[in-house]
Amino acid sequence: MEKSVATLDEGTTCTSWNYCGQRLATGSFNGFLSIFDSPDPASSSFTATSKIRIHEGGIVKIVWIPPEYGDAVACICGDGSLSLWEEIAEDGQPLQWKLCETFRSKGSTVLEAQFGVIRTSLKMVVAYSDGHVKVYELLDPFELKNWQLQAEIQNVIDSVSTFGKASCFSASISWNPQLNESQEPSFVLGFNSDTPQLNSSKVWVFDQAHHRWLPVAELALPLDKSDQVFAVAWAPNIGRAYELIAVATHKGITIWHVRLNPDLDGRLSLKKAALLSGYEGEVWQMEWDMSGMTLATSGTDGMIRLWQSNLNGVWLEQAAFEPTP
Amino acid sequence: MYIGLVWLVVRFRNWHLDGYISDEIFSLIKVKSNQADSSASASGGALSQEFCFEWDHVMEYSKDIKELLGNPKSNYDPLIEDPKEVLNKGEEPTSLKAAWELMEMFYADKLCQSWFPERLVDWLADYDCLLSGDQPTVHSKLVDFQGTLVTLQVIEDDPKYWEVISSALAIGWLEIVVKLLRLHGSYQLDQLGHRETENGLVETVAVLISMMPRMRLELKNGKLGECFEAKPDFMKAWEKWREQITKLDSSAFWVPCHHRQTREGLKNLIQIMLGNTKILCTATDHWIELYISHFLFIRPFTVGFEGMYNLAQKCIQMKPMSSPHKLLRLIIGIIGENTEVVLAECSRGFGPWMVAHAIELLTARSDLADILLHKEHDDIGGISMEELHRLVYAQVLTSHFLTWQIAPVYLTSCMKQGMSLLEFLLYRQPAQHNQLLLKNLEICRLYDLDHVSSNIMKIAGVYHWKHGRKGLGVFWLQQARDEFLLNKIARQLFDSVGKSISSESFKQWEGLIELLGSESKPAGSLEFLHKYRDFKKSLQQACDRKTLDAAQHAADSLMSLMKNPSTPQRFWLPLLYDSLTLLSWPARPLLNVSQTNLLLNKLQELSMASVRPGFVASDLPAEALNSVRLALATNLGRAILEEQ
Repeated sequence: MEKSVATLDEGTTCTSWNYCGQRLATGSFNGFLSIFDSPDPASSSFTATSKIRIHEGGIVKIVWIPPEYGDAVACICGDGSLSLWEEIAEDGQPLQWKLCETFRSKGSTVLEAQFGVIRTSLKMVVAYSDGHVKVYELLDPFELKNWQLQAEIQNVIDSVSTFGKASCFSASISWNPQLNESQEPSFVLGFNSDTPQLNSSKVWVFDQAHHRWLPVAELALPLDKSDQVFAVAWAPNIGRAYELIAVATHKGITIWHVRLNPDLDGRLSLKKAALLSGYEGEVWQMEWDMSGMTLATSGTDGMIRLWQSNLNGVWLEQAAFEPTP
Repeated sequence: MYIGLVWLVVRFRNWHLDGYISDEIFSLIKVKSNQADSSASASGGALSQEFCFEWDHVMEYSKDIKELLGNPKSNYDPLIEDPKEVLNKGEEPTSLKAAWELMEMFYADKLCQSWFPERLVDWLADYDCLLSGDQPTVHSKLVDFQGTLVTLQVIEDDPKYWEVISSALAIGWLEIVVKLLRLHGSYQLDQLGHRETENGLVETVAVLISMMPRMRLELKNGKLGECFEAKPDFMKAWEKWREQITKLDSSAFWVPCHHRQTREGLKNLIQIMLGNTKILCTATDHWIELYISHFLFIRPFTVGFEGMYNLAQKCIQMKPMSSPHKLLRLIIGIIGENTEVVLAECSRGFGPWMVAHAIELLTARSDLADILLHKEHDDIGGISMEELHRLVYAQVLTSHFLTWQIAPVYLTSCMKQGMSLLEFLLYRQPAQHNQLLLKNLEICRLYDLDHVSSNIMKIAGVYHWKHGRKGLGVFWLQQARDEFLLNKIARQLFDSVGKSISSESFKQWEGLIELLGSESKPAGSLEFLHKYRDFKKSLQQACDRKTLDAAQHAADSLMSLMKNPSTPQRFWLPLLYDSLTLLSWPARPLLNVSQTNLLLNKLQELSMASVRPGFVASDLPAEALNSVRLALATNLGRAILEEQ
């Protein structure tokens, strides 16, 4: 049974649901940011409650900031800038969406940004088109404009690698969605670029003792290391002894088992659990369900597919939906 | 275009049926199960006793679930009022309940093992109507015939009449058979005279049918047959009954019966009662109907589940189906004793609710099933199939606003992964709606999830603070005991209060300070704001009343604030500047020498601090410092004089 939950404006280019699925943010090709709300939590009908033009060009991607920091979104715009917008009622003024901060970089554009909450701090990983990745930290939880650059990294496993100027088309970042704070913060990062060393997905972990980010695993077999990565997704872990990470390349979607306790040389033990193939084209987006048991994917074939493992560890496509035009 | 993937609005069609009804029962069985475990261990391992106890409570659980799945009337109850009403149009039964009853019959109800075939007859009586699809069923044929009944002049001439009677007899619907037989034209008063033999034969068959021995405990009111609990008694009665039928079959009364259809129809019924396979096959439509007719007339002495699967295969061969109904697929799985097939059919045909709940039944009878369902699988993260199915059902519940609150009942019964999933679930509930938030917190409290409730309250606190409801924001942050954020808020307040310390706009902060100053006092610096509020009040009173007492009280308040280490340095000057009236109180000096010296020292400290980096200057006029210094010096002079 299909039911429409919201009617988006023509020219909508990207969408994003907030943490509880009660708000939808959409961006359009002409730079409008729209917010859709439902009248009450029981309703699944969403209507636009605010619409503001945040940019002359288009909006490419929207990401919600974790709810511990209010109702705010990060928008990656067509010109490669990243701007943070927050819904806030300042002293005596009505509630409105306000610009908090804009990130620009000379000579490169922002491709991807993702947020991770670590203990009492909010971190933002931003990937740029020149292959550089910056990790920012929010200084004051009530001020989304005060960010400090914490680290700058390149997505290579070996720090002595040298390569020329990189040109990246897209980047994918996924934080380890852990709720407990016993593990060190970590994320997985992959590029779709002309520089083979940057492409393969690497797991980055924050080394608290030395206050630095370290690449601890490369999610690619030796022959696949230069494969361009289209999407990555780190599954929620509700009790497995290992982590599940999905990586999409032109060869299909690989499911990796990653054990987060490092061996003596600091690397993580990995197992390629499955290669989901059987359809042509590029994967656009991947997302895990709350239990980390089902993976949803969308791609250039216009289909949304759901994948699950059976009791023997064999991953199978469980359903495929074609969105109605 | 970019397609967003969302894990949200997967609606579950039967939530009202499945969700709300079973959570309490589910919790109940868990409690009972624990009781059983503890009582069994207390009795020193009285295994059989434990087994019986567990079986009893599984059966009780099953009955409760069944009741909640609805209790439709039997579809073939004849109505006395209308002789031509063969089928009672009861409430349409559901496949889910039919499936549950099947599972109960085979796995949980140990009493039914001794009269299993009869139990199956009852089941089909209730649910045959569900099986009509491409193929007719006995039920659908009866419904069709009922439609034509009023238009028939001579009922016994119609071949359909005899056909439906044979079909109903084949599957043991004796009441309907007898009722239909008594609609025979020979019963009519005007015909009784010249159709006496014919009528006698019809009535004899009807009586024989109504006397059919049945191996079962009891029959509901209005049902026909004679019950026998013990197998030897039943066998004896059965032999006698069959003898009577054989005798009737070879009786001479058939010769004077000139109505061909009646003769052939009755003979057909006799053949059914004598267990003629060919006739039974013709009289039935679905393999399950044929299967049941075998138990009734060919293998009446079957006890338990012996040979059931082979017989079912034989019946399926005789009545093949292109797309068997989900209930029939389930029966095949059950009698094939293949737990995995049963689970797969439950899941495919009846959804995650059925699987999550049926596991209690599946494991009640079979140790093998118990091992299979409780074995932990590494490939699914080290959980058992039982836990997996509960997690899956809980996720279905979480997808809807009205059912997510039931999910914790299931999740907390999942030993390995349930609690983590519950944490994710609670984290993903909207925190901005107060009622929902309270419900969320209640769940956290029930399951000792303090860290989750802190996080939820923090989200709510930040949301309200940033959306202009500052008081509510502070309240939730206090509940969350989030000192880090409260200190941040206190700093923001200092900034605002520091700017407006001498103005009336302070009033707008009063309520907030009141709230922050509650007994928990998570942030030391908030204590200052509370004292500051008190000082402002006493100062106001001193200015209004102009009495010495009020002024002295205000001066004491000032001293207490200035001595308190939690009073931020940047407030020292504004405080003293506010208190100029007190420092030059006309009646007498309010501060003694040592107090005045302390304040002068503070002023000196402030002057030195002002040249250091990071010093926050107040918004006071430039001459403020000098005015305060002068007032303090004057006060010092007056105090020295007074103390001499």
